[in-house]
Amino acid sequence: MASHNVPRPAIIEVKTEQSRLREQNQIDEYRALVDLIDVKITEHQYTLQVLELTSKLLSKNPEYYTVWNARRRLLTCGLFPKLSASSSPLTASQSTSQIGTTTTSSADVSSSITNSSTESKEILDNFDSQTHRKNGTTLELIKSDLGFIFPLMIQYPKCYWIWNYRLWLLKEGNARLETHIARDLWMHELALVGKMLVRDSRNFHGWGYRRNVVAELESPKLNGFSMAEAEFEYTTKMIKANLSNFSAWHRRSKLIPKLLNERKADDATRHDFLNSEFELITEAIYTDAYPYAQSVWFYYQFLMSTLIEPTGSSAINPNCTLQDRIVYLSKQLISLKDMLDGAEDCKWIYDALLEYTLVLCRMREREATPEERQDCLLWLSELRKLDPLRNGRWGDFRLAGSG
Amino acid sequence: MSLVSGPGVAGNTSSLPNEIQLAISAHVSYIQSLDTRRDELEYWLTEHLRMNGLYWGLTSLHLLGRPDALPRHETIAFVLSCQKDSGGFGAASGHDAHLLSTVSAVQILVMVDAIDELDSKGKGSEGGKGGVELVGNYIAALQDRMTGTFRGDEFGEEDTRFIYAGFNALSLLHLLHLVDVPLAVLFIESCANFDGGYGVAPGAESHSGQIFTCLAALTIAGRIDMVNKDKLGRWLSERQVEAGGLNGRPEKLEDVCYSWWVAASLTMIGKLHWIDGDKLAKFILSCQDTENGGIADRAGDMVDVFHTVFGLAGLSLLGWEGLEPVDPVYCMPKKITERVLGTRV
Ligand SMILES: [Zn+2]
Repeated sequence: MASHNVPRPAIIEVKTEQSRLREQNQIDEYRALVDLIDVKITEHQYTLQVLELTSKLLSKNPEYYTVWNARRRLLTCGLFPKLSASSSPLTASQSTSQIGTTTTSSADVSSSITNSSTESKEILDNFDSQTHRKNGTTLELIKSDLGFIFPLMIQYPKCYWIWNYRLWLLKEGNARLETHIARDLWMHELALVGKMLVRDSRNFHGWGYRRNVVAELESPKLNGFSMAEAEFEYTTKMIKANLSNFSAWHRRSKLIPKLLNERKADDATRHDFLNSEFELITEAIYTDAYPYAQSVWFYYQFLMSTLIEPTGSSAINPNCTLQDRIVYLSKQLISLKDMLDGAEDCKWIYDALLEYTLVLCRMREREATPEERQDCLLWLSELRKLDPLRNGRWGDFRLAGSG
Repeated sequence: MSLVSGPGVAGNTSSLPNEIQLAISAHVSYIQSLDTRRDELEYWLTEHLRMNGLYWGLTSLHLLGRPDALPRHETIAFVLSCQKDSGGFGAASGHDAHLLSTVSAVQILVMVDAIDELDSKGKGSEGGKGGVELVGNYIAALQDRMTGTFRGDEFGEEDTRFIYAGFNALSLLHLLHLVDVPLAVLFIESCANFDGGYGVAPGAESHSGQIFTCLAALTIAGRIDMVNKDKLGRWLSERQVEAGGLNGRPEKLEDVCYSWWVAASLTMIGKLHWIDGDKLAKFILSCQDTENGGIADRAGDMVDVFHTVFGLAGLSLLGWEGLEPVDPVYCMPKKITERVLGTRV
């Protein structure tokens, strides 16, 4: 979008006549390319040469959404072999007959592939040549395009249009390729987005893309099945690499209910599962500087919320009785008080103690005892001291009975 | 309007005075200068944001109390020149129609009080009317009647941002009845997370920008009651970092544009006082270029009109003296949304 993290230069240079001219040349060249593509698309010249022109422009400016759209039309209205009337993917026999008629354009595609980046070659090498022959032009075009986009994604990881175009392209593959071939492409994407998330483990687009890729791989149309177990493992790996990866904690919170349902977990198993998650998060909180990092505390809040509202959509142990939940929460309060030892300046612990003490009173359907009120007032004063930015919030706290 | 960043840079005064001022006249001339920079390559590379940029610049000028600082006729002519036969607007002439440019176009036309001209001179107008209806139909056709979501354009990308964009423009045109509002509200509900926030789609992580769009859409739909205000207020208030600025997600860097997404969200749920407004204002002011105008994402970075408008709008929410009050739902001057929509509670 707009400029983010663009540092100002130490000295703002006054443009020399020479640099002014150079910039003007670049502008002229850029605008000429824009105009040329515009003319070609208006004339419906849906050829590989025009596709190359759009590649050239998008490499200079990947935010040019109109040109991504032009590229879509180039493929669907021109370069892709026509879908059969029923819009069903090519069957093996159909695609074999296709090959004979498209040899020429196929060769053109190959030559354009040769010019693409090494990343694209790497992607292509992962497919055997038999697959190439079977699905002919469509597959060549899609793979070549995926290869073209990849370096752009690395260079502009926050550009919406690139991610969208890539998803669109793969979905075209679903409709046009044999299922197992389309599936292979998506599998490759899963590996690729994994690499992207190693580079930037919080990339919002990356996590969204992963969600989309997994949903496709799980879908019946690609002969898919649930990947909840593998994805859950993935979040464990990401969290162990960086405890402050809230994106991974978040995804974990979404996977757990699904995972337990698929495991057909009984109440005892669910209870044990919740225990192990609490152990994991408590261990994380105790690690180095993490009691002061909010990601771990938000996940802690998630686990607590499954005890407080046990039947919600994020349920872990929905059949847990009120009495059991009260016992569980009380134990957590004790463990929170233990955490204060040596971390007396950690506002998150006071925040949690305050909240869950009052929640526990509500679950027990009684007012806070004088002792609990005393504790809460003390924690509240610690919060005001440690976290003055949010004084307005602390000021809104009303202890039952105090109005 | 161009999206070219610079030439100004934020926080270029070597030692900040105790009482930092808002450089009102510098910001006005900065915005006025933006469309004169055609000799810079970046001017052309940012053409895909021209319509959004005009909305950001014009809103800034309105908030700065200089609504007439851009020529009205040229503004209207530019906007209408970007309209397609479908009724939708592109980012600039020659660019495809997209919902995001369309909502900006409608907001601009509302701000310069030119909806009548859209109706009489826009695409689809016949006998002096019909232009507004075509825009409404274009937007309504982007709604998926099975899920309630909106696509950004014909190619089908879906995102909670687009529900807001659709609701925003349609409500300003008094055409909200063209879409299935309750179904879209249900979709937003399915994007809610345990922390009270909302993501881009079901299952996605809470993000301040998405939260803003979901709350604003729910407000327009009259369903802000669906929000867990305490939980969300807590999460949003934790976006404020020591430096006073706000971030978009846990443990990310602060950035001036979140002054708007987070503070407007807090305002919509009645919890703006849960953050330190003085420190936020100081942070925003430290990111402005007091000499050449404009505001950057952080002090020391290049300024741009995107961060300028959201910095100013954030200050306006905080009641900064000398700025027009801003509507937290529409990011337009309150005076104008009240003229069009009446006084809302
Ligand atoms: Zn920003």
